[in-house]
Amino acid sequence: MVKAGAESSSPSSAPRVFKPQMARGWWLRQRHYFLYIVREFTAVPLALWLLWLLYEIQRASTGPKGYYPPSSPAFVVFSVIVLGFALYHSYTFLSLAGVIINIKLFDKPIPSRVIVLSQFAAWFVASAVIAAVLIGFAR
Amino acid sequence: MSHDAARKRRPALAHLIWWFLFAQGGVIAAILIPVHVLVQGILGPLGIVPVADRHYDTWIRLLGNPLVKLYLLVLIALPFFHFAHRLRYLLVDLGVPAARTLPAQAVFYGGAVVVTLVTIWVLVTTAPLAFG
Repeated sequence: MVKAGAESSSPSSAPRVFKPQMARGWWLRQRHYFLYIVREFTAVPLALWLLWLLYEIQRASTGPKGYYPPSSPAFVVFSVIVLGFALYHSYTFLSLAGVIINIKLFDKPIPSRVIVLSQFAAWFVASAVIAAVLIGFAR
Repeated sequence: MSHDAARKRRPALAHLIWWFLFAQGGVIAAILIPVHVLVQGILGPLGIVPVADRHYDTWIRLLGNPLVKLYLLVLIALPFFHFAHRLRYLLVDLGVPAARTLPAQAVFYGGAVVVTLVTIWVLVTTAPLAFG
């Protein structure tokens, strides 16, 4: 076996550790890098909106007089922005399923296109059911 | 060599749990969140459609259902394990190597655990269980 870089690893010196150097704004240089960071960042608006939902649930414990549902334009604008990030997360995450999920049916792998389509179908069905419950139980 | 073999035999349970929560949280967030934001955050407040959370009595009736409570726990808590993982690595990518450390892991995954506990507390204390 040939040891790569043997000259630098004498017993007396500490092993050299590779430290990747990334310039500060590396993710602004390419569209792909930027979209990757946006994809990871979707967690922030989604987390904020879920915390708002939790607050909305908690406020129902104050009784009928203390309960005011949000209707300010600022809240709607906030939700519109969050919806943009939410749709981007859904699109990227459900598309990834075709790469991640490997299922064989009768010894033949299911094409990734079919898996992605089934994920989007599940998204559509779940959305329809949730919307039906939220709207159907209103008065 | 024996060291490597010993490492191989020990299952990476912690990895399994965190990766499972990361993946499931991602799926839950992808499939369930957009419609909630659209209906409860936009269509409801604008008055385009009637939504259950616009009135106290319809909202509390929905919140009293045990299936709804269980659903809301999954909807709110699980994605935070996904968010914790993503945000920790987002910080690493943006040049904060400290996000790799054990204290950072405790803060991020611990935060997801705290959100889970708070969600359970809110769901249990908000509306009395009502069947039907």
